[in-house]
Amino acid sequence: MEVINAFAVSLESVWLDSGFYSFTIGNGIMILVGLLLLYMAFVKEFEPLLLGPIAFGCILANFPRTGFFDEMGVMMAINYGIKYEIFPPLIFLGIGAMTDFSPLLANPSTLLLGAAAQIGVFVALLGAMLVGFDVHEAAAIGIIGGADGPTSIYLSMKLAPHLLGAIAVAAYSYMSLVPLIQPPIMKALTTLEERQIEMQELRQVTKFERVVFPIVATIFISLLLPPIAALLGCLMLGNLFRESGVTDRLSDTAQNSLINIVTIFLATGTGLTMSAESFLKADTLLIIGLGLVAFMGGTAGGLIFGKLMCKWSGGKVNPLIGSAGVSAVPMAARVSQTVGMQAKPGNFLLMHAMGPNVAGVIGTAVAAGTMLAMLK
Amino acid sequence: MDQPVTTNPFVIMLINMTVVFIVLISLSFLIRLIHVVDPTKPKEEAKTVEAPQPIAPPPAPVVEEPVEEGIPSEVIAVICAAIGAYGYSAGQIHAIHPIHNNHAWEHSVTYPNKRLSH
Repeated sequence: MEVINAFAVSLESVWLDSGFYSFTIGNGIMILVGLLLLYMAFVKEFEPLLLGPIAFGCILANFPRTGFFDEMGVMMAINYGIKYEIFPPLIFLGIGAMTDFSPLLANPSTLLLGAAAQIGVFVALLGAMLVGFDVHEAAAIGIIGGADGPTSIYLSMKLAPHLLGAIAVAAYSYMSLVPLIQPPIMKALTTLEERQIEMQELRQVTKFERVVFPIVATIFISLLLPPIAALLGCLMLGNLFRESGVTDRLSDTAQNSLINIVTIFLATGTGLTMSAESFLKADTLLIIGLGLVAFMGGTAGGLIFGKLMCKWSGGKVNPLIGSAGVSAVPMAARVSQTVGMQAKPGNFLLMHAMGPNVAGVIGTAVAAGTMLAMLK
Repeated sequence: MDQPVTTNPFVIMLINMTVVFIVLISLSFLIRLIHVVDPTKPKEEAKTVEAPQPIAPPPAPVVEEPVEEGIPSEVIAVICAAIGAYGYSAGQIHAIHPIHNNHAWEHSVTYPNKRLSH
């Protein structure tokens, strides 16, 4: 009898300690959301490198009693990387090493397109405040319009950490949907004649310019906006590795091994913030809706400024490159190229669009820095 | 968190857009300044202030290697135009071969297409 009692008590204890006992409907819904995101990542191939680990992190976050954040372990270490904003600058290091700034240096006027595309950030900020978010939350939501995942995560953690999961998912989801969201707006806001404009060949950029620019830009922006010195500094350091010509091994590590490792941690950690209690709210749907408004606003802002530049230049600038002002490197530039080619086969806009694309990355970081300076 | 300077969204929008434009316009001036002070600029731009140079020996003729069979002329035109976008002339192309003949190139060309966007 004693053996049976001990057996029953033990079984009850195992059951009471199990995840099944504490499992809620909310956990179940979030696991389904995670499975849906996994489907989008691996079957539909929407940003699989990012959505895959985000989705799996979401599933992991909804197992009760895992104690991930009770004591130091791998999950808590990953969480620290996000909480203390370690991963976004490291991702920027890799982006800097992967990105060629030459188109921007050859045509610095395209920086204006990167600035104009930030209008989406502030349209969403305005919308978020109108539907009841406070100013810190609205600023974090608005930055989705910059189409820049690391900056969105960086700003969310500083201003509205409780919204991180929804903001990160919205930002990366819309980035993966850039080829679907942008073309209709691009076609609606430009005429066929404008889309057919062939731009002049870019001048050659010397190694001196490519090496000096990241140094000068870091000094200037970091002194002006210290809160984003880590982000911009890492972006420019990565680019310096690439352009110096004597740090190939560092450049190779930054743009391959390092960025891949950090992406796994950042994306999994983002997914881990998607627990039922923090994600299953009406606010999440609002954030996803506002993110779309931000994205469309940014695309439209870049295109409208592109049209103005087209007029000012006497028809030498194809306005389609303006839509690449919403960071999303390099996908937004590829979309400009694709839509340009559809209007006129042989019209190569890719290199021209990389200018505003890089400017968009810098512009989004500057917008984030300005909001941090104003709102913190 | 401290009290923000303002919570008026229109003021935030106005101030931020102004700052973003000022910073990026300043960066564009810095880029132009770097170009102006660049001591390694191509000589065509500095020709007016330079003394006449001794005549350089004629460049070695470019050895034109045949383009591999099976590559359509449209593809060759596209490759020439893409290289032209980087500031090089089509005459500088030495050869065009499909990447499946070279594993190193195949890897380096296909990998970036699978890379993530940020």
